Amino acid sequence: MSGEGVPESQDVEALRQKSIAAAEEAIRQASSRPDLHLVQAIQALDDTDKYLNITATRASEWYGLHFPELTQMVQDNVALCKMISEIGGRGSYSAEALAGRGFTDKKVAAIMEARDRSKGGEISEGDLAKVKSLGALAVQLSALRGVLNDYVESQMKRVAPNVAEVAGATIGARLMAKAGGLDRLAMLPASTIQILGAEKALFRSLRTGARPPKHGILFQHQAVHTAPKWQRGKIARTLANKIAIAARVDRYRGSEDASIKAGLDKRLEGIKERYKEPPQRRPERRDGPRREGRPPRRDKFRRR
Amino acid sequence: MTRLLREERFGRTALLTQNLVPGKRVYNEDLLQRGGAEFRTWDPFRSKLAAAMIKGLPGAIVGEGAKVLYLGASTGTTVSHVSDLVGPGGLVVGVEFSPRVAREFVERVARERRNVIPFVADARDPSKYSVAKVDVVYCDIAQPDQTEIAIANCRAMLRPGGVLLLVVKSRSIDVLKDPARVFVEEKKKLESGGFEVKELVELSPFEKDHALIYATMRS
Repeated sequence: MSGEGVPESQDVEALRQKSIAAAEEAIRQASSRPDLHLVQAIQALDDTDKYLNITATRASEWYGLHFPELTQMVQDNVALCKMISEIGGRGSYSAEALAGRGFTDKKVAAIMEARDRSKGGEISEGDLAKVKSLGALAVQLSALRGVLNDYVESQMKRVAPNVAEVAGATIGARLMAKAGGLDRLAMLPASTIQILGAEKALFRSLRTGARPPKHGILFQHQAVHTAPKWQRGKIARTLANKIAIAARVDRYRGSEDASIKAGLDKRLEGIKERYKEPPQRRPERRDGPRREGRPPRRDKFRRR
Repeated sequence: MTRLLREERFGRTALLTQNLVPGKRVYNEDLLQRGGAEFRTWDPFRSKLAAAMIKGLPGAIVGEGAKVLYLGASTGTTVSHVSDLVGPGGLVVGVEFSPRVAREFVERVARERRNVIPFVADARDPSKYSVAKVDVVYCDIAQPDQTEIAIANCRAMLRPGGVLLLVVKSRSIDVLKDPARVFVEEKKKLESGGFEVKELVELSPFEKDHALIYATMRS
């Protein structure tokens, strides 16, 4: 086989070198976009949350064999882990050791009493060392979480100030991560933004004709999840509309625009006013379709 | 002498391609000596072209010396085998859109192999990489309009009578439609676009809801 117009081998090599250089430049360009760093940061934040939870829970469970009363009395897992790693065994608890941890005198007294009549078993030096390490790790993760959170907040203000304003920094960053960067988010229709993160429910709905999801990641927004159930769909839709506008302004104009948030607040106000009361429930019929609207699309449910 | 071998390995058919750069692995594949030359194992679970060839696609389609346009190079595993197949006298123009995977493609494949020319570009715009007429266009891209994109690329770069190998990803075209129906529809698109469809190979069990269409462009 031979192609027409194929350059000679020296030319091919020259072309190849040029192409490699151009490709590497394109890759370099793409990797330095600040929104991609933001996407990594929000994912790191969500990962860190997970590790923190797992680690703190394990430390608390393990330490609970030795001093179960304390794990009941200190609700904040990170504070508990800090005590585990810094104070150590039950015998080391004293008024001095507990000072400066934000406990009231009454609480300190209660902890001391719990120490004296603890139902916990003995713990060896070796075991205690491991529990202390776990606790220390949880404390470190908690610090890292704070750092990442601050970074996401400040970077969102720089990269996508309007999205941060309308959606909130972390939710905006999660949307961006799901979409694949600010470029992509700015190109998505509001209807897609509304259900980003609810893909499973969306495809189930397309396959079976079940009701489509009202919100994905946007459920985390307080305007959505604090609203009464019947308003959530409307609120999520409005919110998604404004986020779509905000993302486009951020991507293509790049200046802050307070009118987007103001418009959102006004619309939310209107929804809350208009749909104060829950909708009337339709009486359910025993036979016939349970709901009005499109019937389930059977042919799409059956594959092959 | 063909640069592609078929043999029984561990009770099933395995494909081997003659290594263009002896001694070098691309993705931890096995290197084997056969008849005085080094061959690389070609995993059908990782490469749709290998899957199609195991399921009956003639290996000679991508022959020694061929010029190939490869759309959707990804990290370059399959590209490396195509590069083996066409050998030192052939050429592979690899196009990948995503910078993230193109990084590995350039690093592990394009830099190492003198018959591979990489482009980080959009397959919707062939003018960006239209450097030569080619004998084969291989297209494996996850887009709803992948068939139209492939046809446009053939018009731009495929020589008359040349071969199109189109990986039909039915889930990318329509998640809900029956894959078998998608395959037939895409086949029809090719036929009305001036192609003669020679074979349609479904890629199960190696790949779910995928098929490879082997077609030639009418001159």
